[in-house]
Amino acid sequence: MELILGMDLGVFLAWIGTLLATLLCILYGIYHQFIKKTDIKQETPPLKKEEKKPKEDS
Amino acid sequence: MDLWLFVVSMVLFASVFIFLGYLGYRKTKTAEDYFVAGRAMGPVIIAFSYGATFISAVALIGFSGIASIYGHSILWLAFLNVFVGIFIAFVVYGFRTRKMGLSLQAMTLPELLGNRFNSVRIQQTAGLIIGVFMIAYTSAVFLAIASLFQVTFGIPYWVCVVIFTLIVGIYLIVGGLYAVMWTHAVQGIVMLIGMIVLTIGVYSMLGGIGPAHEAAAALTPEMLASIGSPAATQAPNGLTSMPPWLSPPFMMILTLIFGVGIGVLAQPQLIIRYLTAKNDKALRIAVPYGGIFILCMTFLAFSIGPLCNVLMYQNNIMYPLKESAGAMVPNPDAVVPTIINQLFPTWFILIFLFAILAAAMSTAAALFHTAGAALGRDVYEKFRKTQGSSQKSVLITRIATFVIVIATLIISLNPLDVVAYMTSFFFGLMACTFLAPYTLMLYWRRTSRTGVWLGMLGGFLFTMAWYILIYFKTAPSIIGSSLINDYVINMLDPIFIGLPLSFLLTILFSYLKKQDAAEETLMKKSFQDIS
Repeated sequence: MELILGMDLGVFLAWIGTLLATLLCILYGIYHQFIKKTDIKQETPPLKKEEKKPKEDS
Repeated sequence: MDLWLFVVSMVLFASVFIFLGYLGYRKTKTAEDYFVAGRAMGPVIIAFSYGATFISAVALIGFSGIASIYGHSILWLAFLNVFVGIFIAFVVYGFRTRKMGLSLQAMTLPELLGNRFNSVRIQQTAGLIIGVFMIAYTSAVFLAIASLFQVTFGIPYWVCVVIFTLIVGIYLIVGGLYAVMWTHAVQGIVMLIGMIVLTIGVYSMLGGIGPAHEAAAALTPEMLASIGSPAATQAPNGLTSMPPWLSPPFMMILTLIFGVGIGVLAQPQLIIRYLTAKNDKALRIAVPYGGIFILCMTFLAFSIGPLCNVLMYQNNIMYPLKESAGAMVPNPDAVVPTIINQLFPTWFILIFLFAILAAAMSTAAALFHTAGAALGRDVYEKFRKTQGSSQKSVLITRIATFVIVIATLIISLNPLDVVAYMTSFFFGLMACTFLAPYTLMLYWRRTSRTGVWLGMLGGFLFTMAWYILIYFKTAPSIIGSSLINDYVINMLDPIFIGLPLSFLLTILFSYLKKQDAAEETLMKKSFQDIS
């Protein structure tokens, strides 16, 4: 069987797949850091003062 | 290697962590600080903390040893580690977990489930499962590090375990998650340096990527047998080829890849990292850092594992052995330490030793923190029905963590068997128990309390039954022999059946027993920031 960089096709796919998955992570980060214009949305703050109701099955 | 050089370096290493523990103590004012680092962490710290928690000494030593037996086919696990363990984990699970945790004021996975489904008992049960089984997983981390120390220095196992526990215990209990995450950043850098230098060293000794892989492919079973490598029989198509379809080595790889590769999504100690993010953007920007970190850990570790056979063959080094039940058997955990000890310069032995130490410490600290929170906050505090002050909650968890550290120490002094299988056991169990309820909680508004109960317990009980009665590694030592003799079945990780079963039960019983009014209110609250 022909080898690619010394690996058979099944192993080579895992090898190159791992590198491509990392590239995907990098591109995702670059997109959100430099390309996509997002403002940090105001989230509903946790209700710290709110009195917790007892849970039903407690 | 000079023992004194190691001792001095170790003291410096430990001092940094204890100092960070002190800084964490100064910064910890509330329960939110102790449990989720004030929900104020940035992308780099999150990525390093997630990665250092994820990658233990087990992954670096145990799995590269496994790779020396089964060959490069285990690289499929590296692919899943990056694609599922980072990309899918952060993008599909991270943001929603963070938003829901914020809306429901949850600081642990059990608390998230309990608050979302209005059930203290779900929180307690989840906390108990996590707390108890994490102790077993942590003991596997100890075994890996002790294996390295024994090979490198001949330091007794118990000495390693006691010193290691003492350092981690101090900075964790004192400094909370702030200390844990800051130390993770330092430990992550040490791990990166160690793995990158090791990989460059191994590939340069073998002439580069292509020649190294070709040399591995050229090793025949006879050559492998001459150095005593189990790869002679376990990698029948060669070290750089996939094993024959559905053969025992294929099933072994399959079970490792999916047990760990998919199981990562439901690890409570990793889920907590999403809750520490200061905003969504921090999680998004953590993705590339996390991807690169995991690449440099698992991909490199799994790449060099099989190449150790080439180095052993070329340098007349025999595959390391260990004693088991009165006989000498191959010891994959000692493969990488043996190569480093024999072929690398002293200065690198020290760096690699600290990289492994950092990997083990970072994972152990995260496990202790999560297990302490599970047993202290989720089980004990709820059992006593005390809705105490923030300070009291932290104190209870600190005490619970101390008890867990001591319990793990005692268990670790009676070492368990092969490291990698323990990890696979833990990951699979967590996945079958929590992944379905957790996923459906995040994405399906109709998920009900009854559905979560049945999904969680169904997955847990099935997995335990599978390990006890069927799984080829555990059943023989528990009941004498597996109930199913067909290896295609008994070598399957329970995740293949337990996970679909858990999803099915959660969905089915959510339809049969719908949410009540209180659950519906909580459901709306939990989705309020999720578009």
